[in-house]
Amino acid sequence: MLLYILRRLILLLPVLFGLTLLLFIVARILPGDPVGLAAGPNATPELIAQMRSELGMDLPLPVQYWNYLTGLVSGDWGMSVFTRRPVVADIMEYLPATIELVFASLLIAVVIGIPLGLLTAVHKNGALDYITRTVALGGIAMPRFFLGLLLQMAFAAWLDILPLSGRYPLIESPPDHVTGLYTLDALIAGDWYAFQVALSHLALPAIAMALSPLATIMRMMRASTIEVLQQDYVMTERALGLSNHLILFKYVLKNAMTSTLTVIGLYVSWLLGGTVLVETVFDWPGLGLYATQAILTQDFMPVIGVTLVIAIIYLITMLIVDLLYGVFNPKVRYA
Amino acid sequence: MLTLNKRQFLIGAAGMTAAATLPRLASSAGKNIMVIASTVDIPNFDPHVATGYAPQWLFRNTYDPLVRVVNNPPVPAPGLAKSWTQSPDGLVYTFELDETAKFHDGTPVTAKDVEYSFARLLRLAKGPAWMVSGILDENSVKATGEMTVTMTLKKPFAPLLSVLPWMFVVNSKLVEANKGTDDGQAYLLANMAGSGAFKMGRVKPGDLYELVRIEDDWHKGGNLTGVIWKIVREASTARLMLQRGQVHFALDMFAEDMEAIKDMPGVVRIMEPDYRTFTIKMNTAHGPLMDKNLRKAVSYAFNYKGMLDAAGPAQLMKSPLPVGIFGFDPDQKGYEQDIPKAKEYLAKSAYKDGGFKLSMHHAVGYENQRRWCLIMLESLKVLNIDLDIRAMTWPDTVAMARSPETMVDFYSIFQSPNYADPDNTAFAAYHSSRNGQWQNPVYKNPEVDKLIEDARAEVDTAKRVELYKKFQEVVVEDAADIIGILELRKFAMRDNVRDYVFSSVAPNTMEVWPLSIG
Repeated sequence: MLLYILRRLILLLPVLFGLTLLLFIVARILPGDPVGLAAGPNATPELIAQMRSELGMDLPLPVQYWNYLTGLVSGDWGMSVFTRRPVVADIMEYLPATIELVFASLLIAVVIGIPLGLLTAVHKNGALDYITRTVALGGIAMPRFFLGLLLQMAFAAWLDILPLSGRYPLIESPPDHVTGLYTLDALIAGDWYAFQVALSHLALPAIAMALSPLATIMRMMRASTIEVLQQDYVMTERALGLSNHLILFKYVLKNAMTSTLTVIGLYVSWLLGGTVLVETVFDWPGLGLYATQAILTQDFMPVIGVTLVIAIIYLITMLIVDLLYGVFNPKVRYA
Repeated sequence: MLTLNKRQFLIGAAGMTAAATLPRLASSAGKNIMVIASTVDIPNFDPHVATGYAPQWLFRNTYDPLVRVVNNPPVPAPGLAKSWTQSPDGLVYTFELDETAKFHDGTPVTAKDVEYSFARLLRLAKGPAWMVSGILDENSVKATGEMTVTMTLKKPFAPLLSVLPWMFVVNSKLVEANKGTDDGQAYLLANMAGSGAFKMGRVKPGDLYELVRIEDDWHKGGNLTGVIWKIVREASTARLMLQRGQVHFALDMFAEDMEAIKDMPGVVRIMEPDYRTFTIKMNTAHGPLMDKNLRKAVSYAFNYKGMLDAAGPAQLMKSPLPVGIFGFDPDQKGYEQDIPKAKEYLAKSAYKDGGFKLSMHHAVGYENQRRWCLIMLESLKVLNIDLDIRAMTWPDTVAMARSPETMVDFYSIFQSPNYADPDNTAFAAYHSSRNGQWQNPVYKNPEVDKLIEDARAEVDTAKRVELYKKFQEVVVEDAADIIGILELRKFAMRDNVRDYVFSSVAPNTMEVWPLSIG
């Protein structure tokens, strides 16, 4: 098992290498002048040349790439031309907000989606099944940013029971930084008020993000459960007099989880890469906004940095998903 | 394995919902914190380096210049300098500093700090240094007394008092102590060395910047204890925040937003003319529009009324200078749509039958600019000219403007003056030394250059007016632009904001220390 994990981690390296090369080439061949833009509209050509030299962007491309690769290994992921800060510092600033949003969305999707999937499979073609099928269709079809705007209008503007935007009230200081996830930091500090406030701000963007994965997880769980319920061993268990509760949660759930697990793993990267619109609507200062700003200002180092972070998180997530297969299915073991 | 029945699931969900919806905001008693919503970030805190309206807002509230700009029409007012004199030839200015002015660390602002700041500004040659390019150099500003500064100009510069509000004084001892190898740029990128009413509090790039009122503030006025510059990228969100009282100012509003908040309780709309112009510059250095007769044909073919109708609250410009600014010629007729004249000039040009395509760009996301492109498309049809419309991001626009060969034929651009003097618009948008920059990519006319240079050096007001009158005549005759519109500056504020006075120069960079809320 340990060897398997080690092998998978080592295999990350060529994937990341290829990714950095591809991103670097694309970033350099795109038209535009990020240095000129960062220098400002009144910059002289001499000033722009000086800035280009300071940022190492006047060196030959292979040298730039080599410098970038060696920097990556040593923790230097380059400078943002726009913010003039190290990309690593920027990513550490923005990443916790996105992690918190993604984790909350996934938690909502899993905690609601899996039980609902089970229920609708057991009560197939019942009222709940039809209602959830309609909601699922809407959840998958509706654009997240539009859902976000609707939620804002309903809960923030009209009902005024949830905040409109942001992670925390503007005039207050958030919990002391431990992880950067405000809800978690509040719990660590034992500050129940701060936890409530952070959670209230997290609610609407997390729901907006969660609806689509929730719908998919629910439908996948339903389909897998229906398939498993039709297996001979389930009939045998019923014949042996085991309770429905025991059959469902001890035997059926485990066997139905594997394909849902794959979907959950895939949704981690989908959520990570898809937060930008929800972050824009809710002013959630996360990685999506940072990446968007970088793209619009042709700030290539942050774009590469953000892509690498998402790729690393995705690959590690898929490793965890693969390992969890073994938990749910004892036949699956890794050497 | 954790089991969860339906009842347990519902109880848990209710608990989480209650936890999420029950918090009460902590009391903000005793705090008067103003919140300003903007779409623009503040990437650099160095007042001698950063440009853009958001950094300028920051500097106006955390630093001080010698002279401020206030009111409408804008006039100079004391800043660090409580008074000043000017020599008759306009070459020497003497400033007496306010003895009560002090930096955030409590040390007094002295003439040596002013001398240091101007030397640094001009040495770096970044940020606002271009405004005094050729006028001041590193040795022009001297401390001639403990609290007396003398500025000796290389040549007369009539708008000097108009540009000084954008040149801020830094704490020389602090910057010198953190000079490093780049003249303190790395230090001031993220730190403050000012004397302004506020110092920096929380900094969250891309999210918010909090300013905290300094204790024992030497600036008199206002009751604000803090200000937050909040980045809000979505216009509807900013509008809702304003409606709910979460922000006191919502900048960067569009016409549709202003319509939506009309008659909204608690909200005051600010819709005032300022000096922000919109023109469609023609590529006079490359392609068909090098032909002046063709440019005139286009100028007479263009549907100006359509442009105004599509603009929302705005007025048409007839002259390259903003309406109402010093030197503006109200008798300048400009061009009006006149199809027979358009065809007459087309016949005189080298393209009398038309039958070719020109290109035009507009900024991505600006619906008004896109509509103006469509108006141009329709207008050119009478000349049998087609139009290729391109949406471009700002980085691509700046890159495209660097050479005549890459510049489109019609280049749409808004220009906001940094200072309340016609020199800003004239120099930035029509002097050939600015070629290759986004404000004036290609236009070059030696006669216009001389008029601009003479006008900025002329200290006699009447003579300046005559020079700018001639400048406007020549530029209009050149038909270098479709001289477009002056949109009203649009933003909104809560009605509990007091003592706010609109200024037509950079109104979105307002000084907040004189303001109060409540």
